[in-house]
Amino acid sequence: MNSKQKEILMRKRYSAEKRFKFFGIFSISLAILFLCILLFNIFTSGLSAFFKTKLILKINFDEKKLGINMNTPDEAIKASNFNEILQDALLNLDLLAPDLKKIELIDIVSIDATYELKRFYLQNKDQLNKIVEISLTLSDDLDQLYKGNFPRDIPEDRRRFSDFQLKVFDEQNSQNKIITEFNFSFFKNADSREPELAGIGASLIGSLLTILVCLILSFPIGFLAAIYLEEFAPKNKITEIIEINVNNLAAVPSIVFGLLGLGVFLNYFYLPRSTPLVGGLVLALMTLPRIIIPCRAALKAVSPSIREGALALGASKVQAVMHNVVPLALPGTLSGTIIGLSQALGETAPLILIGMVAFINVVPTYPIDPSAVLPVQVYLWSESAERGFVEKTSATIIILIFFLVLMNSSAIYLRNKFEKKWS
Amino acid sequence: MINEKIKISTKNLNVFYASKQALFDININLKENKVTALIGPSGCGKSTFIRCLNRMNDVIDICKVEGSIKIDGDEINKKNLDVNLIREKVGMVFQKPNPFPKSIYDNVAYGPRIHGLAENRESLDNIVENSLKKAALWDEVKDRLNQPGTGLSGGQQQRLCIARTISINPEVILMDEPCSALDPIATAKIEELIDELKETYTIVIVTHSMSQAARVSNDTGFFHLGKILEFNSTEKIFKNPDNKLTQDYITGRFG
Repeated sequence: MNSKQKEILMRKRYSAEKRFKFFGIFSISLAILFLCILLFNIFTSGLSAFFKTKLILKINFDEKKLGINMNTPDEAIKASNFNEILQDALLNLDLLAPDLKKIELIDIVSIDATYELKRFYLQNKDQLNKIVEISLTLSDDLDQLYKGNFPRDIPEDRRRFSDFQLKVFDEQNSQNKIITEFNFSFFKNADSREPELAGIGASLIGSLLTILVCLILSFPIGFLAAIYLEEFAPKNKITEIIEINVNNLAAVPSIVFGLLGLGVFLNYFYLPRSTPLVGGLVLALMTLPRIIIPCRAALKAVSPSIREGALALGASKVQAVMHNVVPLALPGTLSGTIIGLSQALGETAPLILIGMVAFINVVPTYPIDPSAVLPVQVYLWSESAERGFVEKTSATIIILIFFLVLMNSSAIYLRNKFEKKWS
Repeated sequence: MINEKIKISTKNLNVFYASKQALFDININLKENKVTALIGPSGCGKSTFIRCLNRMNDVIDICKVEGSIKIDGDEINKKNLDVNLIREKVGMVFQKPNPFPKSIYDNVAYGPRIHGLAENRESLDNIVENSLKKAALWDEVKDRLNQPGTGLSGGQQQRLCIARTISINPEVILMDEPCSALDPIATAKIEELIDELKETYTIVIVTHSMSQAARVSNDTGFFHLGKILEFNSTEKIFKNPDNKLTQDYITGRFG
């Protein structure tokens, strides 16, 4: 080969390398671009759900209208009606409103406003017979208008608030009576038919309980199964069949596990429907192979010389594995488990089948209380017609992504922490 | 020749990996408190042989050991014998240093702990200190016993493994190419150590270094293709071997 041929060969090699690099960078940029579009989309439509719009009203806590006095016990206050003083305050916004429009005035605030007043009074009983300025949640239609999620130039018959309500709203806005505050109730409340009241409290707790049940079941079982299969099981036809089936199970569509849960846990064992207990059981079945596989890989990656070293000291096989192999396999095991659980956290289909798609308006306390989960809540709200649910859907996705990122980064953190320790 | 008690003797030892035979009729007598070096080209069965002496071949499913292995006259190659008891008596140091994922202290304390050799913390401390001293590592690590054993240098790790092995007070120490992963200085230290250890222990060492075999051992066995071709005093083997192949191997003409 002369120098000219050599030069051509080298040039070809360089350009091939450049081409390869270019394709690599191109694919990564494309992936990052799509990720950015997704995140931008979700955040722009979801962030406003973390705030709620309120109207400042002058409320007269008149003891005659409330039918209570300073000595009324809390129970009686809870039973009394705060609607009248609320309506008085709302009607005061426009004293000249014709009778027909009065109902529109009352509809400016959320139906929860009367309970907000009651809660306020229960904590400030000294305000009886005084006139107090209190901020009350606006109805979701005006909330969406204020946040700019709903265009105001749409003809009256095609929007959910009237011209009269719009006029009153603008008046109040120009007097700085409309304020925005952080939406704590979004994290505390359960689902509701009223978007301004709907929150992810129930689905957050539900997801937490479900994942907890899933973790308690799937981690010990999966981990021990992996240790037995990898370290102790004889290598024969039966273990081979088990291994193939574990791998196959990891690839089974999740909805199939939902059907299994429906058939076995609900219809045969009569476990309570739509509860974190059953959800966790179903997800544990689904997560088991996804834990066994990385755990086995982590155990396999431990150098056999560690096992031999312990055995040569006269350790039993169980001692050799538990004292020396498992600590080295721990980082891989933990990160595999966490990633398996984060997949379970985002799972929707199997939970719908066991009834976790029900409308739950109470925050659950125990794993046997009916509850919702975050991904199913996203699914439910994405189907709702009201404007207010659009931002709630995106906000729930943000929370879900937050937990996924949290779990995955803790997996990376644990892996690095333990790996550094022994190398 | 009066004080030379036989520690280990094998008779008609045959080892198979599945259908492939690795060792053929090994008959050998290893003397107490002496260093026996096993030399021979790669794949000749040296490692397989010493792994028979503490039943480490049990770990390999397809490996089958036939014949008789006696330590102090007791047969160890029989089915219903607790292998852990043999391994307590016959320690092993491996080719690659393999410290456990534990602190230096716990690495050495591991054996005494699982065999219940120490009654209290104080006696465990003593065992650890003595083992590390015997392994000539104490001075280098006494201030950092709580640091991971994996943080030591290769030579220190190997001495840690030796300390670990002698912590349970074995009678025999098997060494499978203990210096092949070490630099010359670390190797020299280990060789020095072997010289001291033979006062207390019977040592069998597999090595690829002719000079090492010549330096440290009293007896040498030459393995070739699963057979022991020559077994004699080291002096005899290196000066005037009976077998032509031995001569060729130690002078570097093959292998």
